[in-house]
Amino acid sequence: MSAPRADLSTGGRRQSLALALFLVLQVTAAVFFVGDALADFAAGPDEPHSLFEGLVAIALILSVVTGFFQLRHAVGRMRAQERALDTARGELARVIDAQFSGWGLTPAERDVGLLALKGLDVAEIADLRNAAHGTVRAQLTRIYAKAGVSGRAQFASWFVEDLLQPRDTDAARQP
Amino acid sequence: MTDSTAGTGTGGAIAPPDPWDPLVRVTHWAIAAAVLANGLFVKPGGTVHVWIGWTVLALLALRLAWGFVGPEEARFTAFPPAPRAALAHLRSLFRGRPKEHRSHNPLGALMVYAFWAALAGVTLTGLVMTDARSPVTIAEEKAAVAAGDWSVLANAGDGEKNEAMKDAAKEVHEIMANLLLILAALHVAGVAIESRALKRNLVRPMLTGPQKR
Repeated sequence: MSAPRADLSTGGRRQSLALALFLVLQVTAAVFFVGDALADFAAGPDEPHSLFEGLVAIALILSVVTGFFQLRHAVGRMRAQERALDTARGELARVIDAQFSGWGLTPAERDVGLLALKGLDVAEIADLRNAAHGTVRAQLTRIYAKAGVSGRAQFASWFVEDLLQPRDTDAARQP
Repeated sequence: MTDSTAGTGTGGAIAPPDPWDPLVRVTHWAIAAAVLANGLFVKPGGTVHVWIGWTVLALLALRLAWGFVGPEEARFTAFPPAPRAALAHLRSLFRGRPKEHRSHNPLGALMVYAFWAALAGVTLTGLVMTDARSPVTIAEEKAAVAAGDWSVLANAGDGEKNEAMKDAAKEVHEIMANLLLILAALHVAGVAIESRALKRNLVRPMLTGPQKR
């Protein structure tokens, strides 16, 4: 469950770390360069050499400032994404919970239903719950009946369909 | 469904999932390396020493700017200097039940400000001692002296007053440098103690950033 999530954020993390390293290099270079340019200006401000150095120093400082705000933006966006994912996850849990209540599942049926949603088969569920295969099969049948679905596949897709719904209607509305 | 939130142990709820952003991490370790290098290993007054000093100045400036605009826990407002809260934190630490904090704990916050003050003191006195000459200039002058051109030394020592100021700067520079090393040792001890008390590795988030729950 957490694997795709980690994959999603590692890229962003690596990117922002690279940005931070780059920024540190840039600002170090800028401090040296500005120091040097100031010394040159003190010596002879009119020389074209000093003027050019001053220009480069300004460009460097501008890019440091830009990188600075870019990094801030990247960090902020990454955190917002993580929050959104967390929320979505919590939201799905709540949706499933509410739906199970709506269908009037008993606590035992809730557990079995959740395990079934997670993709466990009858044998595995029976193992986990220390129950007979027949019991689990009977519970699943009752769950499917209460949910009004024909079987496992439809039961699982019930929630996925729910998640996909708004997107489909959005797409349908757009043209 | 509860298994995703439960079982993270103490502090999972308040400690941020991504405690330190990349800029905080990079500047932290770079400054740590610079302090150790300049304080213990590099010859004082040499070109490398000055190079490192200038770099620290840049890192410090970057980190302080980040304290205004960075993410929440990197900002000064997340860890204001609060001596009374620091004392309270110390007491709770002795009792073995310190509170979790989203950013630095109050004691750690004081340490951070002490670090920054000492770093600013060391680098600025260093600039006074070298007449704010860049390491490039210093290297050039050293090369010139080595080649037999002593003229650069002649205009370096200008005036008694300047000399006195440089002596004072040197004194402060050395005191501050030693203070930095003492602070660093205290900091490491503090992190170790706090990690033990919280039963949570506090170094890891500073090294690798977040650990997936």
